[in-house]
Amino acid sequence: MNAPALLGGSAAAIAAAVRSRTTSASELVEASLARIAATDGVVNAFTDRLEERARQRAAELDGQLAARDGATAGLPLLGVPFAVKNLFDVAGLVTRAGSRIERERPPARRDGPLVARLEEAGAVLVGALNMDEYAYGFTTENSHDGPTRNPHDPTRSAGGSSGGSAAAVAAGQVPLALGSDTNGSIRVPASLCGVFGLKPTYGRLPRNGTYPFVASLDHLGPFARSAEDLALAYDALQGHDSRDPGCVARPIEATAPTLVQRVDNLRVAVLGGWFEEQADAQARSAVSRVASALDARDTVTLPQVERARAAAFLITQAEGSTLHLPDLRRRAADFEPLSRDRFLAGALLPAAWLVQAQRLRRWFARRAAELLREFDLLIAPATPCVALPLGTEWLQLDRQRLPARPSLGLLTQPISFIGLPVCSVPVWGCHPKLPIGVQLIAAPWREDLVLRVAHHLQNQGIARAPVAAIPAAWAAEGAAGPRPGTPAAGTPP
Amino acid sequence: MQPSEIESYVDAAAAALGLPIAPEHRPGVLVYFALAAGMAELVMTQTLRPDDDPAPQFVPIAPGEAPLPDRQRAR
Repeated sequence: MNAPALLGGSAAAIAAAVRSRTTSASELVEASLARIAATDGVVNAFTDRLEERARQRAAELDGQLAARDGATAGLPLLGVPFAVKNLFDVAGLVTRAGSRIERERPPARRDGPLVARLEEAGAVLVGALNMDEYAYGFTTENSHDGPTRNPHDPTRSAGGSSGGSAAAVAAGQVPLALGSDTNGSIRVPASLCGVFGLKPTYGRLPRNGTYPFVASLDHLGPFARSAEDLALAYDALQGHDSRDPGCVARPIEATAPTLVQRVDNLRVAVLGGWFEEQADAQARSAVSRVASALDARDTVTLPQVERARAAAFLITQAEGSTLHLPDLRRRAADFEPLSRDRFLAGALLPAAWLVQAQRLRRWFARRAAELLREFDLLIAPATPCVALPLGTEWLQLDRQRLPARPSLGLLTQPISFIGLPVCSVPVWGCHPKLPIGVQLIAAPWREDLVLRVAHHLQNQGIARAPVAAIPAAWAAEGAAGPRPGTPAAGTPP
Repeated sequence: MQPSEIESYVDAAAAALGLPIAPEHRPGVLVYFALAAGMAELVMTQTLRPDDDPAPQFVPIAPGEAPLPDRQRAR
């Protein structure tokens, strides 16, 4: 199999091919750069391309393999191209975090720890990816860098805030990407772009070397087109770093070797209540398919989910706004128009609201822990609906009319609020042309369970993440889109 | 909170913080503050016990335990 064909497959297969010298890291980098050049005029996932750095790193790996370096040959992500949301520090790049303001700062002096760990595992960084400004959004409609378009239908949003990360993986530009998730920013774009996304337990991966949003709630994690690739990446990312005070000192718990363990002994339940009410029929249908495949017959509820979501909302507003208060005072007009007024309002919240929200967080975490004594895994939709057209202002859910942009996180926000590990798996066939994600949720530190079940669902054909076929009309016309009258939607895989 | 109370509070809190709110931003700020006030009503009416501590825990830092961050952001 040649490098362009391998690029559309899994990271595991790429590493095996480079290891066996069927292809080379350099050929994979060239294939990735060519795919980005051919598709990013439409998708707009990349804000920075690192051609020189990637070619140099790939040449180093190929040289070490030619010299029969056994340590290099054993790297789990050998020659795998990857990219990161542009809030990760990358040596020599300004960490813009989707903003106009930050690009005036000096470039990062070194790679953030997670970027460095993936490269130590043999992966090759090819660029940085678009996002909502300061991660405050669920649509990657970035006024400074343009919107990221959904590779499966470029008239629609890729989701956010890690929209560039999900779209780059869905478009086959890279098989692996990193993003961040404060209220759903990995799981929402993974759902809308039809890829796998892992939000690990809060405190599992160090966040230093990234631009923060809400320290109380921020997580980092990987995107991929298979559960095995997520596990390989996640295993390479693990490890304590005391420079992040939120990072918990736990041993590395490798998950890739556990993927093949049985799942039929797991106690699985569907989350009802809020998680049914705030989802449309297609989202509920995706949950039913997963539940059926896992023989999950119980529906259970968490108490006061709406209050938990409200508390996460307040913590986000207050912490996020306080972080940017100096710039909000001096240059509010330079912020993203879609989030500026939210940041300004958030700076004004009374202290009692914030403290009570943090107390409710503890209360809600205890309720979830009680439920997770009875069940190993909980299932819920990742988003209330499939990807919405760019610019959508309102979402109709049964009899509710909701503001579309914040509502995309209705089902993810209560879970990240209490830091549980989640894998979002992509399900097709509930909508005529588009995917939707299902959250697999486990007790803290049980990333192994959510990845094992995701792997099982992929093997059963319930979850899958095909590379998007960018519609020919879009590929010809680029970001301007097809001429009027040309069908815009992609071919369903 | 009533709309007039929100307007009064937003203006007073912005003044206390030294946060100027441009006339063109003010309508949006009032909308988002009202949204937050609705969220706060849900949060503030939840019954909690004294042992429901705020979630963030502070861990004291011993000398030598705290390497400097990778990059100090000059503001």
